[in-house]
Amino acid sequence: MTKIAQAVKREKMAGKPSEKNVEKPVEKNLEKPSEMPSGKEEVKPAAEKVIDTTRSAVPFDTANIPGPKMARAVMPAVPGKMLARAKRPLLIVGSEVHDTDVLARAVAIGKTGIQIAAVGNAYTSLGDKGLDVHYINMHALASYLCDPNWKGLDGKGGYDLVVFFGITYYYVSQAISALKNFSNIKVISIDKYYHPNADMSFGNLKDDVFIAALDEVIKELPKR
Amino acid sequence: MQDLIYQMKVKKGSFVIEGLENVQINIGKITAEEEQVVEGPTPRPEIISLRNWDYRLLDRYNPVYTPTSDMCDYCTYGKCDLTGNKEGACGIDLEGQSARQALMTSVMGAACHSAHGRHLLHYLIKKYGEDHPIDVGPSNLKAPLTETIMGIQPQTIGDFLPVLEYVEEQLTQLLAAANTGQEGSSRDFESKALHAGMLDLLGMEVADIIQISCMGLPKSDEKTPMAEIGMGILDPKKPVVICVGHNIAAPAYILDYMDKNGQFDKIEIAGLCCTAQDMTRYNRNAKIIGSMSKELKYIRSGIPDVLVTDEQCVRADILKEAKKLHIPVIATNEKITYGLPDRSNDSVDEIIDDLVSGKQDGALLLDLEKVGELIPKLAMKIGPIRKAKGLTALPNEEDFKKLVAKCTKCLQCTRDCPQSLPIGDAMAAAAGGDLVPFEILHDKCVGCGRCDFSCPVDIPVLNVIEKAAQRVIREEKGKMRIGRGQIGDPEIREEGRNLVLGTTPGVLAFVGCGNYPDGTKDVYDIVEEMIQRSYIIISSGCAAMDIGMYKDKEGKTLYERYPGRFIKGNLLNTGSCVSNAHIAATTIKVASIFAGRKTKGNWEEIADYVLNRIGAVGIAWGAYSQKAFAIATGCNRLGIPVVAGPHGTKYRRAFIGKPYRKDDWNVLDGRDGSVVNVEPAPEHLMITAETKEELMPLLAKMCFRPSDNSLGRAIKLTHYIELSEKYLKKMPDDWHVYVRSEQDIPVAKREPLMKLLEERGWKIDWEKKKITEGPLRKVDVSFQPTNVPRLCKEVKK
Repeated sequence: MTKIAQAVKREKMAGKPSEKNVEKPVEKNLEKPSEMPSGKEEVKPAAEKVIDTTRSAVPFDTANIPGPKMARAVMPAVPGKMLARAKRPLLIVGSEVHDTDVLARAVAIGKTGIQIAAVGNAYTSLGDKGLDVHYINMHALASYLCDPNWKGLDGKGGYDLVVFFGITYYYVSQAISALKNFSNIKVISIDKYYHPNADMSFGNLKDDVFIAALDEVIKELPKR
Repeated sequence: MQDLIYQMKVKKGSFVIEGLENVQINIGKITAEEEQVVEGPTPRPEIISLRNWDYRLLDRYNPVYTPTSDMCDYCTYGKCDLTGNKEGACGIDLEGQSARQALMTSVMGAACHSAHGRHLLHYLIKKYGEDHPIDVGPSNLKAPLTETIMGIQPQTIGDFLPVLEYVEEQLTQLLAAANTGQEGSSRDFESKALHAGMLDLLGMEVADIIQISCMGLPKSDEKTPMAEIGMGILDPKKPVVICVGHNIAAPAYILDYMDKNGQFDKIEIAGLCCTAQDMTRYNRNAKIIGSMSKELKYIRSGIPDVLVTDEQCVRADILKEAKKLHIPVIATNEKITYGLPDRSNDSVDEIIDDLVSGKQDGALLLDLEKVGELIPKLAMKIGPIRKAKGLTALPNEEDFKKLVAKCTKCLQCTRDCPQSLPIGDAMAAAAGGDLVPFEILHDKCVGCGRCDFSCPVDIPVLNVIEKAAQRVIREEKGKMRIGRGQIGDPEIREEGRNLVLGTTPGVLAFVGCGNYPDGTKDVYDIVEEMIQRSYIIISSGCAAMDIGMYKDKEGKTLYERYPGRFIKGNLLNTGSCVSNAHIAATTIKVASIFAGRKTKGNWEEIADYVLNRIGAVGIAWGAYSQKAFAIATGCNRLGIPVVAGPHGTKYRRAFIGKPYRKDDWNVLDGRDGSVVNVEPAPEHLMITAETKEELMPLLAKMCFRPSDNSLGRAIKLTHYIELSEKYLKKMPDDWHVYVRSEQDIPVAKREPLMKLLEERGWKIDWEKKKITEGPLRKVDVSFQPTNVPRLCKEVKK
């Protein structure tokens, strides 16, 4: 088990974020716990120059409240830096990746060398882009990720970080509940929905803010 | 070891023994007068009788838990936070709790079907007597599940009394295991859940066989007539009776009364959900509105003048909704009573007066004969009154415009919608006069009405959707072939060999409810693709209805285009939800009739045969209920894999194989007990897919079985590759795993595929065009794959 995985496991068992052993947030405002606006409060207009992805950090499906531990809302730089530092990251994208703007960001992340798991029908848009992309069923992937002996999509080893976007909300929310409770892998949502079962997540975002946030993530990744 | 059960040859009745005062012997039931032979080791299996078989399944197809809640609040120790698989106060961890929920879900579903069967059995015995013979059509194996589980061959409907007693006793034991302080092992919770699933299949079989035998439902009839289906089929000018639920008992009386009084041209009568299926099986004049997804939509249209409820899939708010539109609700089953007054002992005229005047909103009426008389009379009386008032929940044109203009696009309705539908966008389009987005939403909307509660500006969202979609609703007129019941023995004899050898690529069973991820049309599209590839398509319940909802360019539904025999490229509808039993039972018939496997009390051997040899897969693309979960779990124990739609992850448990763990795929060769490492077939026992594009190649893959011969394997591989290329735009990564020799490769693509294998490092003799090195194993036509050591003729050390 990697140090990160051990830290995450401890964090999961304790039900609170571990500040010492996991990737530290790079911006000060990331340290504060995510705010929980009332049910009526909604996505704010993205008029600000700075993209704030920590707002509206409430489960997108209103009733999708799993329990006391829910994802920490983060700014884009956090998943960006964590992706950049991870030894073996995996990006998962699904059937909501086909939109031109969203797809371009998935491709951009893939171009940095990060392996992509194309779940659902995502492969139809990603297969011809010259990326390290593999089709796999999301439910099966969740199962395999919980198995510490799994050697990954290419047989070269397991993953220490899973990042996802562009997947049917409730479907991936359920799938990652397996990872949350039965694995040591760190899971980050960079989707436009707040995903409580991830370790970290953006809040619920409008489309333009979402795309801008993905660009912020990509900025942190090493160029190839 | 075979076990003989000899039974008493005495007659039913009361006897007084001379010389013994005040002693009378009552014999209530003679089970059979002939000798019955139990052929397997587990007649009437108890909770742990089949545990070893369950463990074999669970060791290969590991349970995958996707909790919807990380907490447990079942007892007063809690709530307990089980996040990260922590233990709660009672000692159960999240894995155990998730497995316990699987058990409870399975028990709930099994109880539902079995209680349905119990209600029918009481009613039918009262009407026809215990000695009424079983008649399901041209079959010697009349009750395959009953034989395999109970070890008996029932002859009369009374023979099912001990069957249901067994089911009820077992379900009580299983439910007891879920109490706090009982079972703690997730593995054994799952074994128990599988047991409950098996009981569910048994309960369903009883329910459908007795109604087929007594009520004149089609008996293995491949050419049943078509029934009309859709929200646009009824003439709203006539009085309209809508029966909602699953139990035919009450609607049968209504249909009989209408038949007797020649009222079918005066009153429209149709059903919602599986009651509709069975109404059309019982009387050809009945029609079908659709699945549970149409329930609230149709009620709010205001078209129904009378609602009759029985049991299962009835909305909890049906009385409240109906009351708003002055539609009386007549509850006819003690399981759903809504606090309505019991009017069973009152006169029909009194009840009608109270309902028409609005003095009462509905009535509980358990006297079914009275139901039969009351409903048509009530419809005739209240229908004209309601129609004169023009009662509907849908807004008029003017109000519609005001309502859509009120939308603030806050997205709250989307966040509450199970399908996350873009309702706000459709509102904006409608405000601009474009109703097409709403028309599209109408098909995707499951009619739950959650959006109504979420709107901060009080737009009745569902009513707005339905108002906007009136044009497409009027055109919603399909056809469904009426439920046929079992697959007859002659059909199995004709097709069994093709199935086992793989030359028919598979049996795909479309079952379950209407909670589809992206609309009803998907089911039509999937079935059309697979039937054109010569899969046998069997359907039941709401899925069978939805298949008939769409037409091709020539205006024909799939039922009109494809015949209903159990052979490749055919489309069968077995009937209602309880008719699902026949789909599972078909695999038992194949094992028995084609392969000569003994059935009575022989579950493990039959299930082992099904798992390794019969390429049958269940598809519950829109499953929502506990019943659907129980059916799937029962099929799993019988060795039939199931794929659900993405909502299926909310069942919180799947059985997923790990193809990379090679040892999981060891089976025994029944000839000598040697261990053979086989391809992952079937790869999963219960899994979900995100989209229909992902589903179709997955279905093709799930039809592989270790017993496929080369021709069959090549056919299955052809479809797997073609479907993957067509819908996922890629060659499957694992296609080569299923190649055992060059003969397994589709002829049309043999050379290019062999080149691909060579690139993977396989050795090819191009002169002889043979694979010389690479496959996991060789083709062996005599291979007898089994997962059960005792079934091997001799065990190799």
